[in-house]
Parts: sequence; C-alpha cells; structure tokens
Amino acid sequence: MKLRSALVILGCVLLLLAAVVVGPQLEGPQGQFIIWQLRVPRVLVGMWVGATLALVGAVFQALFQNPLATSDTVGTTAGATVGALFALALDSSRTVQGLPLVTVCAFVGALAGSLLVASFASSRTAHSSDVLLAGIAVTLATSALASGIQYISDSRALFAATQWSLGQLPQVGYRGVLLLTPLCAVSCALLLLLTRSLQAFALGEDLAHSQGVNVPRLRLLALALGSLGVASCVAWCGPIAFVGLVVPHLVRRLLGASYRVLLPMSLCVGAALLVTCDAFARLIVPGRELPVGIVTAALGAPTLVFLVARGRR
Amino acid sequence: MSELEFVDLSVKLGQRTLLDHVSLRLAPGEFVALIGPNGAGKTTLLKAALALRTPSSGSVRLANAEVSALDAKARAALIAWLPQHIRAEEPVTSLESVAAARYRFRESHADSRRAAARALDRVGASQYAERRVTELSGGERQRVAFACLIAQEADILLFDEPANHLDPAQQLDIYRLLGELWREGRSILCINHDVNLLHQVGDAARLRVVGLRAGKLVFDAAFDAPALPEQIGTLFGVEMESVQGSEQRFLMPRSRSKS
Repeated sequence: MKLRSALVILGCVLLLLAAVVVGPQLEGPQGQFIIWQLRVPRVLVGMWVGATLALVGAVFQALFQNPLATSDTVGTTAGATVGALFALALDSSRTVQGLPLVTVCAFVGALAGSLLVASFASSRTAHSSDVLLAGIAVTLATSALASGIQYISDSRALFAATQWSLGQLPQVGYRGVLLLTPLCAVSCALLLLLTRSLQAFALGEDLAHSQGVNVPRLRLLALALGSLGVASCVAWCGPIAFVGLVVPHLVRRLLGASYRVLLPMSLCVGAALLVTCDAFARLIVPGRELPVGIVTAALGAPTLVFLVARGRR
Repeated sequence: MSELEFVDLSVKLGQRTLLDHVSLRLAPGEFVALIGPNGAGKTTLLKAALALRTPSSGSVRLANAEVSALDAKARAALIAWLPQHIRAEEPVTSLESVAAARYRFRESHADSRRAAARALDRVGASQYAERRVTELSGGERQRVAFACLIAQEADILLFDEPANHLDPAQQLDIYRLLGELWREGRSILCINHDVNLLHQVGDAARLRVVGLRAGKLVFDAAFDAPALPEQIGTLFGVEMESVQGSEQRFLMPRSRSKS
C-alpha cells in the first residue's frame, strides 16, 4: 500500500510538470514569458483549486456519511453563484481594492451560503442527514434567487454569467496565486488535522460520539474550514464540477483502507487531475481554450460511472 | 470504578413518550440484562446513557456527574457502546476501524494499531484485520464492532442485542466474551431478547434482569428468581414454559396469553 501511494504521488508530480509544457510550441523570450508569467501561475492556481475541492469533497463525504456529498451540497457553490451573478448584473468591470467585483461577491456569497447551513449544523440535536437537507434547501433557495437575478439582467450580463458558471482557471498571474495560497493552505492543513476524528465517523456518527468525538464541534469546524477553502476557489474559478465528487472515489478505489491515506491522497490527485484537465482544455480545440469545468464534467461523469460499475462486480 | 444511574428519567420524542419515569442503577461490576418487547424503549435508555437522547425530565448520572455535562472524551473513558447496527459503507479495514475507536487516547497511530490488533485477537477476528469492513459478513462485522468496544477500554459497557442475527455458535461466543469482560470488573448493561443465552455469561446467581415495557420499568429481578418466568411471560404477553435442561433452566414461549 505504501508503494502504491508513492507511485500515485510520483504520477501526480509528473502530470503537474507535464502540464506546464503541454500546449502550442513556445520559443524565444515570448515563449519564456508565456511559460513563466502565464502557465506556471495558472498551474499553481489549478493545483490549489483541485487540491482544495478534492480534499473538501472527501471530508464532506466522511462527515455526512454520504458518497454524494461535496462542497456543492452544503450551499457553498450556490451562494457563490448568487454573489457572482449579482456582481455581473451590476457591472462586471468594477473592482474592489484592486480585486474584480465578481470574485469578491462570489466569495462573500459562498461564505454566506455555507454559514446558513453551518448555523444549522452546530445545533446539538441535528443529525448529519438534517444538515445535508438544510444544504439542499439553501441550494434550492439560492438558485431561485439566481434565476431571479438572471431574469432582470441584460444579455451581456447573462453571457458573462454563463461563462462564469462553466468554471475556468483564470489568467490571474502571481497575484492571484498569492491571494489563493494562504486561504487554501489554512483550509487544507487544518482539515487534515481532523483526520482522526473523521476516521471515527467511518462506522457511524452515533458510534463516533460514543467514542469521544465532539460531533457538533467537528461538524462546525469541517464546514467552516471547507467552506473557506472552497469559497476562495469558486470566487476565482466559478463552480468546477466533479473534482470534489470523483477524486475521493477514485482514491478510495485505488488506495482505500484509511482516511489517513484517503485525505492527503485526494489532495494530491485533485491537484494533478485539475491541472491535467486544464492542459487538455488547451489542446482539444486548437487556438481556443475550453473552460476546464466542461472537461472535468466530461471526464468525471464517465469515470464515476466506470468506478461504480467496477465496484459492484 | 464508576456507576451509571438513571434518575426518574423521561424521554419524549414529539408527543410520544419513549421513557416514562425510569429509575435504574448499575452499580460498579454489576451485570444487568434489559429485556422487553420491541418499542419498549430499551435502545432509547442506552442512548440516554450516552447523551445521545436528551431527557425531558429526570437525569442520567455517570460517575456522579450529569452525563450531558461531561466532556466527550471523559465520557468515552467511562462508558462504551455496541450499537445494534454499525454502518459499514466506507471501505476501511477492520484494523483501522478498531484503531479509530481509540480516539479518546492521546497516543500515536502505531500504538492505536497495536491496541486494535490486541482487541481483534481477543474477539477472534485477527484473520480479517486487514480486510475491509464492507466485505465482512454480519457475524464478522459484529466481532469487529465488539473489538472497537474493547479497544475503547471503558468501565461501563452497553450492548444493544449483541447476538442479533448471528448463528448459534457465534451467539454463544459473544455471550461468553461478555462474561469474560464482566469478570474483569466491568459493569454491563445488555439488551437481550433470549434470556437463555445469559447462561453463557456464567455466574447466573449474580445476574439481574430488568423488564421494560412501553417506557416503564416493569420488574427488576435476580436471574435465578423463581418468579422470573412468569414475569417475563407477562412482560411479553405470552405463556412461558420453564424446562429443566441437564445444567440449566430454559424459558420458552408456549403460546400467546389469553387476555
């Protein structure tokens, strides 16, 4: 199992390195500029986003004891969407403190959406399934709100909203990397510290409680940390589908056995997967870049079906 | 040693009363078998002892403190639980599952795994330590859950029908193990449907049997009390027949009581 983990990590590192090189041939000083000022920061952003989405997916699946749970399920993405649409309907070119208004609003929306669900989760008597229902309710309510905003916005804002909702790694340069890194790093590092209590969750929430896990506190911590990381990602990239859902299942089938393996490996595989998908997006349609969200969804859905079908055999 | 005491405990779920003014004390080193028809409130009583159910009145005292006021890890040091069902959907290995039950201890993962291996050995489950819990049979899974309970090293042990759905040999093993843990000095509160299995525990003269029906405590008797067959019969609404075997007295339901 150790050897297998090492091989997977090696594979991830190779994919990440390859992703920098993949693309149209680049030569001379212009090529150097594209590689160092555009591709490398983009790969770095992709790494953080993929790693965070995958880890949060794995943590939420453990927390809610539900294989379908992701950051989408607890209102984070839905909140971000409303925030982004709101900003786009106002004026997409505005900035706050030098940051795009869309990013700021999406971040605030994501935190607000998850906060609503988290306030419910901290109640002593709430069961995980109740929290999941609260997440779905918040998601439904916010998507109604989003439709309302779309209904009153003009066609240019609508187009921008559609683009945003596809999910795409932005060309943000090193400033974006610097903004994203601390938030994602704090979120991921602290989530990994919860591994031991999440492991006790594997045989059921009530049993974990009887074994000494402070369930409401764990739930609140995991939700808050997960939402913080995901909100920062979604704010820059829009909702990127399937990474949070597929990666943990992929790792579970490949390495399984323990959250001590599942959580850190989801982080690695998530980073490599998203960056690879983004490299694909550069290649598929020459001269144009597909939004990476389309690629992850197109690859993720069949992968998931394949994994489930194989697992049943 | 710590003791568990339910003091005039009532638990309500909406309008329904699950437990109705129940008072019961489990002294250190005692074995109490809790019996009663389905829906009598047996599982609710165990869950109340773990602070998984909130009393609507009365209280649950554990080592002279209100159980809901205890810190989660401090509570886990006092009381452990074998639930009726354990969830086995996550493909973790048996060993990792049992190691996770050591949550209350501040120790390295390697130490947790060593303790988990000992616990699995004790319940005769070493051979599937590295198998995933999702691949185990019902009986194997129950042994892994039992190993979790042992690995937690608590003073008071709660069992919710530990031999449910198991074949006769497994049932005997589980109850013999229960007896061993008891003789090591632990206190045990065990929900149980088949009182005949209690003979496997040993020391029958020291066993107590408590009957619960519709949330109320109906009787509290010694296992070898002559009146027990009739009390159990009344509890379940059946005619009980007592049959003397070569070593022990068996109780069997003969027919439904005429009301």
